[in-house]
Amino acid sequence: MNLNPNWLAAPIVIPLFMAALGLALAPLGQRQTVRAQQFLALVATIVNLGIAIWLLYYTIVIGERLVLQMGGWAAPFGIAVVADGLSAILLTLAAILALATVLYAMGTLDERRNMHFYPLILFLLMGVNGAFLAGDLFNLYVFFEVLLMSSFVLLTLGGQSGQISGGIRYVVLNLMASLVFLSAAGIAYGTLGTLNFAHLAQRMEQAPPGIQALLAGMLLIAYSSKAGLFPLYFWLPSSYHTPHPAVTAFFGGLLTKVGIYTLYRVFSLLFPTYLVDWQPLILAIAGLTMLTGVFGAMAVNTMRRVLSFHVISQVGYMVMGLGLAGSADPVAAGFGLAAGILYLVHHMIVKTALLMAGGAAEMEMGSGNLLANQLKGLSTRRPLLAIIFFFAAFSLAGIPPSSGFVSKLGLLQSALSNQHWLIATVSLLVSVFTLMSMVRLWQYAFAGAATQPPVPTAPLARPGKRWLTLTPIAGLVLLSLAIGIFSAPVFQWSTVAAQQALDRAGYIAAVQPTDEIIMLEKK
Amino acid sequence: MTGLMLALMIAVLFGTGTYLLFQRAPIRLILGLALLSHGVNLLLLSSGHFKRGLPPIIADKSSFTGAISAFVDPLPQALILTAIVISFGVTAFMVMLVNRRNMLVTNQTEAVNAPNDPFASAAPLTTTATEEDYDYLEQAPVARKSA
Repeated sequence: MNLNPNWLAAPIVIPLFMAALGLALAPLGQRQTVRAQQFLALVATIVNLGIAIWLLYYTIVIGERLVLQMGGWAAPFGIAVVADGLSAILLTLAAILALATVLYAMGTLDERRNMHFYPLILFLLMGVNGAFLAGDLFNLYVFFEVLLMSSFVLLTLGGQSGQISGGIRYVVLNLMASLVFLSAAGIAYGTLGTLNFAHLAQRMEQAPPGIQALLAGMLLIAYSSKAGLFPLYFWLPSSYHTPHPAVTAFFGGLLTKVGIYTLYRVFSLLFPTYLVDWQPLILAIAGLTMLTGVFGAMAVNTMRRVLSFHVISQVGYMVMGLGLAGSADPVAAGFGLAAGILYLVHHMIVKTALLMAGGAAEMEMGSGNLLANQLKGLSTRRPLLAIIFFFAAFSLAGIPPSSGFVSKLGLLQSALSNQHWLIATVSLLVSVFTLMSMVRLWQYAFAGAATQPPVPTAPLARPGKRWLTLTPIAGLVLLSLAIGIFSAPVFQWSTVAAQQALDRAGYIAAVQPTDEIIMLEKK
Repeated sequence: MTGLMLALMIAVLFGTGTYLLFQRAPIRLILGLALLSHGVNLLLLSSGHFKRGLPPIIADKSSFTGAISAFVDPLPQALILTAIVISFGVTAFMVMLVNRRNMLVTNQTEAVNAPNDPFASAAPLTTTATEEDYDYLEQAPVARKSA
């Protein structure tokens, strides 16, 4: 089967077009605009999901890479858009999360305080999809900025004072990371004369070792601050709990994982030697990220703050996968990266479900404070929400048969078989602490008898909206359980994706960078 | 000489920008970010074989031998253009954020943050809106205008 590579532009173009159309409808009046934007967002996310699954089938099951050379200019002179297994997996997850978020927002969002939420989510989706598909360093930067710009606006939508001060920190730190990234791109172009990933991978050996180390270090700093790694994570817990729960859920599930994706991509493709040499450093970052995240979660007392600290701690596991991919033995490296990718899949689904459930609980009761007794007794008041939260929380902690168990088992096996005892111990410890933290949430928020009257936030005051809120969360939790039960094929897929990501020669052969300016033949 | 000047200029911009970022005042934060992004733009410019008097196009195509010293690489200049647009947009957004924060601080009559818990959620989720306030979603627009 041959797929027309022009389809690769669709995940970028469709959200952009639908978002622009939604904004253009604003003169219709608020009520009509909201309805139209909801409809457009639903259509865009469903179509996007369909295309992403198609690409997933093409890259994983058929096992080929898909490359679009924009405008017929051969790489590196044109813009290359590349999809392989890793990109396709993340595209699919982003599409699932976007659809779930749109449904959840339809149930919980107060449109008068969050005007143009749906077009902004679509712009964000466009940036994320573009970052997953970008085939060169500068386009990656541009798509990063697209997604950051929409995330700035989404984070401060509503304009509460907590949102503004959290937003300023978020903007400044992400901007600094972007500037480091852009400087690295400039240095790469100055020394190697190219920005295309495949071309860079070909020429990287020609650069002096000092420049190589500089580039690897700058990109590591830039991406790890976007991914929320130790010690550059502090912007995350100070901003993620402030916006609307739908925004928090989408950010917590998706945004830091874009940083992880770029780390996976750049280190496996451009710096395979540094992946091996810097393995102790990467594993140390992973361990410290896990520990600080989980301890932070123990120290804070509102529902979504606890859950945002868990985002940090979980990101550590994915970096652990990257560190394990730095083994000299290619089989062990592939297994480590595959375990990391499986963890990524599990985490994106479960984290979004948990943040959605936590946000719904906050909105139902009117407060997220665990110590104020406001949330107590949710399990009797909202049994369905409590059951969903229970399954999501136990999946996060890694209790079988959930997806969390399988993915942690993979990472642990990989670490033990390569004699990384310390990181294995840390990851087990953090698992226990995660379980404790989840039990604490359950104790404070769901168990016991209700003492305070609920003060539901506006849209959830309508019981008719409740099913719209619960459906996407339940869907995500079921997906997590399905991954846990049918773990063999999912692990098989992530192994294929990991092998594709580590296969540098295959990537270069698929993009075929040339040294002469040629126009490709029209098909 | 041009190269050294450029390098010194980039160093000064990076240094000043970083210094300003460590200050508390929001306006210095914004200025620091702007200076840093100018520094990065110059860094990009320097990556493209920047030389005085050389155009970023091949002036005489017939005598061009393929030597890159005959022209300045135009790609970094295109990249800078993109970077300038992005940093301008982000700076404008930052100015709006700081402005909004100042407005909120002056309008605030009571502290939103719980004074003793530094980790307390700053933004209360509850609104004063009642269920009737949301009837606009169900009403026809004509009825809304008359009401």
